[in-house]
Amino acid sequence: MAASFTLRGALLGVSRLRCRTPGPPAGAAGLRFVCNAGPEERRAGIIESTEEYKFVERLIPPSRVPAPPRHAGVTPSGWSPPADSPPPLPYVIRRSRMHNIPVYTDLTNGSRKMTLIRKVEGDIWALEKDVKEFLKEVTGKELPTQVNEVTMTLKVKGHFDGELKQWLTSKGF
Amino acid sequence: MSVPKKPGGKALEVLQNLPRITLANLRPEPGSKQREKKRGRGQHGGNRSGRGHKGERQRGTRPRLGFEGGQTPFYLVIPKYGYNEGHSRRPQYQPLSLKRLQYLIDLGRVDPTQPIDLTQLVNARGVTVQPLKRDYGVQLVDEGADIFAAKINIEVQRASEGAIAAIERNGGGFSSSPSRSSCAGSLSQRECCQGRIWSHITQIAENRGYLADPEKIRQARLALAQKYGYILPDISKDELYHMLSMRKDVRQIFFGLAPGWVVNMPEKKILKPTDEKLLKYYSS
Repeated sequence: MAASFTLRGALLGVSRLRCRTPGPPAGAAGLRFVCNAGPEERRAGIIESTEEYKFVERLIPPSRVPAPPRHAGVTPSGWSPPADSPPPLPYVIRRSRMHNIPVYTDLTNGSRKMTLIRKVEGDIWALEKDVKEFLKEVTGKELPTQVNEVTMTLKVKGHFDGELKQWLTSKGF
Repeated sequence: MSVPKKPGGKALEVLQNLPRITLANLRPEPGSKQREKKRGRGQHGGNRSGRGHKGERQRGTRPRLGFEGGQTPFYLVIPKYGYNEGHSRRPQYQPLSLKRLQYLIDLGRVDPTQPIDLTQLVNARGVTVQPLKRDYGVQLVDEGADIFAAKINIEVQRASEGAIAAIERNGGGFSSSPSRSSCAGSLSQRECCQGRIWSHITQIAENRGYLADPEKIRQARLALAQKYGYILPDISKDELYHMLSMRKDVRQIFFGLAPGWVVNMPEKKILKPTDEKLLKYYSS
């Protein structure tokens, strides 16, 4: 018994290795399950149950992003669901995997600020025109933009992620 | 609404009609590549080659970084002090703001109708805990306490007072307990839970510790409600009262599961031992 207590104090992996050589001690049934009783006696000493399995299912991490529950409007955290039908515009901006608006800021070389709109489908030049008009109203300046037709992204000089996200949610994307 | 499916548009059309691109057809954009400076050649690169005139500068024998000509340098004048001493042994708690928790609940990643635990938060990918970096759990930060509006039963390791107030104001339940996995190692669970490391957190009602006196917790809830100026809602009359008051046993790691149970995952069954010796061992 004393030997089993000192073994328990050590790391589990080391204790398992040490336990194999001297043979199973009397009281440490939990470390190495060596049962001298017959198979029928062993099965009779076990209760099977299925009610607590839901607690086990709760522990398994899901492998897919769950669909968000239905909300009427803006949620308390500021997230708002996309409109049920896409708005009647020549372009569409899909939501990201985590159901958010795909507008991101970038900072390169310590001082180059850019805003990136990803996941654009349709007429990207019309989106560029609308974005330039909207930012002209917001800032009063003509901001340089870059359209990448292959990756269907739009880059704007400066950090405008807050304004662009709000504008796109108001459009219903 | 016209949404042409073909991506790329005009650029791809142009590419399809031009001849094949090879190394012979490519050229960098004029003005994009600048010639590099060659030292020791020509009128401007030659002569002293940008090294200056005589002295340590030209001869490359300058002293080490930080040397101040013999005056005691700055990095030796300032005395040593153990600000960072033992920093790699200090317990760290990953912060979780109430704003992020509300965002997770709104997007359906965390279920407010079940008790929220460290396992639930990690499964929802709401926080990332790194035990190898001395992370002992999660702490609640009260950023977003004014927009928080969810009734939840949450158990984390630490929380600021404002965060506890925000949760209780919305009629939720809060408790703090050490994450049992952090007690792994040489100390046994019992010694760890009652040790001096955790006693100031787990036994104090202000933190709603799991070892604290329930009467003191009730008084602390009232005191916090008065301090932050809200009426404490009576959760015993709530329909979810049973879920909100669910607390784990002192030595329990997972809700609803006890040590010693074997889980049969393909058949979705749990096998529990009935032998006395085994039960005694697993509850010791």
